[in-house]
Amino acid sequence: MIEVTGSLKRRLAVWLLVTVTGLGALLMIEAWRSSQRAAERAYDSQLEAAALTIAEAVQWQRGEPLIEVPAAALQILATRHQERVFYAVLDAGGEAVSTNLPFVIKSGWRERVAEAPLALTARLDGEAWRLYGREVDSAGWVSQEPVQVWVGHTRAGRMALADELFERTLTRFVAMVLLAGVLMALALRVALGPMRRLRRVLRRRAADDMRPLDARVPEEMRELAQTLDHLFARQRQSREALLRFTADASHQLKTPLAGLQSVSELALKSEEPADWRAALATVHEGAGRTSRLAGQLLSLARLRHLGEADEVAPLDLAAALRESVLDWAGREAARDHDLGLAPLAAGPVWVRAEGWAVRELLGNLIDNALRYTPPGSVITLGLEILKGREGRGEVALFVEDDGPGVPAEARERLLQPFERGGRQDTDGSGLGLSIVDSIARRLGGRLTLAAREPHGLVVRLHLPLCDPEEVP
Amino acid sequence: MTPWRTGLPLILLALLLVGAAPLRAAPTPLVVEAALDREVVAPLLEAFRAAHPEIALDFRDRTTLEVDGRVAEADPAPDVVISSAMPWQMARVNQGYARRLDSPTARRWPAWAKWRDEVFGFTFEPIVMAYRLDLSRHMTPPQTHADLHTLLTTERDTLEGKVTTYSPLESGVGYTLHQQDARYTPRFWDLVAGMGRVNARLEGSTRAMLEGLSDGRYWLGYNLLGSYAMVWAQEHPEVIVQVPKDYSLVMMRMAFIHRDAPHPAAAEAFVDFLLGREGQRVLAGQTPLFSVRPDIVGPFTAARLRDQVGERLFPIPLNASLLAFVDPQRRAAFLERWRREFSRAD
Repeated sequence: MIEVTGSLKRRLAVWLLVTVTGLGALLMIEAWRSSQRAAERAYDSQLEAAALTIAEAVQWQRGEPLIEVPAAALQILATRHQERVFYAVLDAGGEAVSTNLPFVIKSGWRERVAEAPLALTARLDGEAWRLYGREVDSAGWVSQEPVQVWVGHTRAGRMALADELFERTLTRFVAMVLLAGVLMALALRVALGPMRRLRRVLRRRAADDMRPLDARVPEEMRELAQTLDHLFARQRQSREALLRFTADASHQLKTPLAGLQSVSELALKSEEPADWRAALATVHEGAGRTSRLAGQLLSLARLRHLGEADEVAPLDLAAALRESVLDWAGREAARDHDLGLAPLAAGPVWVRAEGWAVRELLGNLIDNALRYTPPGSVITLGLEILKGREGRGEVALFVEDDGPGVPAEARERLLQPFERGGRQDTDGSGLGLSIVDSIARRLGGRLTLAAREPHGLVVRLHLPLCDPEEVP
Repeated sequence: MTPWRTGLPLILLALLLVGAAPLRAAPTPLVVEAALDREVVAPLLEAFRAAHPEIALDFRDRTTLEVDGRVAEADPAPDVVISSAMPWQMARVNQGYARRLDSPTARRWPAWAKWRDEVFGFTFEPIVMAYRLDLSRHMTPPQTHADLHTLLTTERDTLEGKVTTYSPLESGVGYTLHQQDARYTPRFWDLVAGMGRVNARLEGSTRAMLEGLSDGRYWLGYNLLGSYAMVWAQEHPEVIVQVPKDYSLVMMRMAFIHRDAPHPAAAEAFVDFLLGREGQRVLAGQTPLFSVRPDIVGPFTAARLRDQVGERLFPIPLNASLLAFVDPQRRAAFLERWRREFSRAD
């Protein structure tokens, strides 16, 4: 079922939005702070210039510092934003020699300024001011004490400059984001182009067209295209297998039917009831074989086209094996063979399987062994508990015989339908192992064929063990 | 007429009176502390009263230093402060005593004539020399500062006691003008020394100097407010006004709304009127205060003055440099120098 979970474009847009918003917020905070810093630096240097200008005007008269405040210093302080201005010249004791506003310069600030020039923010009349102080060593004839020059102004210019800088950054950022968004949308269209092309190619395909794809795709879609190609190839193979199977099945059914036809024709021409009887017996035998063949074909087809396993339940494989062997040992077909059971471990062996499937599988395996081995052969069935992969237990069900065996090159083919391992001397249909293989796959197991020393064949079916309490 | 019928109109009348009462509410008082002659500015005040009958204008005329004191000390604070002592006004604004005026008129006001949108220079008054006709009978009247200096040196005996100028000690305007003169040229100190040599008389106001000229006590006045002198000269033909031909300072009256104005709305209306087209037209047409606005036509406008005098007008810059003039140490140093130069004997 195809479930549509959102759109790629929307998802990308949301990602872009989230990223841009998150990064943008960080960026803007940083931009704001750096605008502030830049504005502070720019205007602090004006404060410094003003302080130096005032410091230049400090002179000593009769042991007292005397300052004629230079008008230029005040204009530098005021800046073009017409700030309110403050200046103070303090003597060594912190007393104001000259000042224009009642700013209190704290003694802590004075001590720090004695070390190095200092810029700080303070408040007066509920308004924020930026102050700057520096100490000036000046030598008079009487006194050589240092004086401190403090200047300051309100912050309108700083705020305006910071706003202006920030606004510029913000404008640029927004423009960039918009541009990136537009480019992203375009890029998305271009990037999704191959997807649309592939869609068109697929849509145009005829229903029975199983050829590999003929499309140009980017690297990211190579896997998808390859998977599609694999899917097509598998479908092609499966269709071919189906056709071959149908052809083979028809062919297999045709031979006994043709036999029946010729036998019955001969019988019809004869007037002898004895001939009729002999013909009828042949017809009966032939019909029986044909019906068995048809039954096997049916069960193979059913196995192949059955849906998911639905009746699986924990099943005691040991019990099923014992039952089947007992059943077959009593049959007519096993009269000439030594059919036996290897010693089984005590207690049940649990696998998940349908009962009918296991019985069908065991029946086919035993039937096969009986058919393809000469009379007097020893056929042994048994179970081996193995340590499976991924820590899960595994059980191997084996059927071994001391018959002629199968050449290695023919063994793999044995699993194909109608394959008899080069043996045309039996009346088997060649479907048995194929059915077994199908059932093994169905149960999640695997089938292996191996030679037995000195001669003979071992068929092994590996099945995963299960916990009997396990609820499906 | 039945009694109730006579009653109805009476009741209606009573209701009408009660309803109309708010319209005739007590006018908003407005206190303006100004260093600006009431007589000179009367037409402007009349125009304002006519335009705003709902405001009861209380215009108080004082000296510049008194006005400056009222800014900080008056309780309640005045609504509007007007003064020609530019450095003091500036210092008060810097101290945060002014309230920003945010109106279209204020925004359009030329940038060179305002500061922080808080204080506005609304007049344009040239600083002039004035002399009595008697002077021209004895010597060529001075047209420049150099001429004046030469006269003070060559005609020392004739001019003894006949020269007058603003006292930098008693008047804020006088101090400002001397400071500004000294900023332009160091030769100003020679001029001060020259005036000291002829024992120039120091007056506290332009009016006192003009009266002295008309009386014949003085022959020559230096650094008079052109606004007053020009009006005076029209009525007193013996007084001649000379705008110096080398440079002429220009002074502006500065007005600001007090931060703690009890009637801020009325104060804003008043300053808006001062700066507005109507107020400036009255200034240009009916007072000698000269309108700053370039779009006003009249006999007394900055534009017209520039046409007459040329590019020699040097308005005292309305910026932070004014603050330096009120620095006590600087002022003390300046006045000490002034005294020294004035009494220099050579």
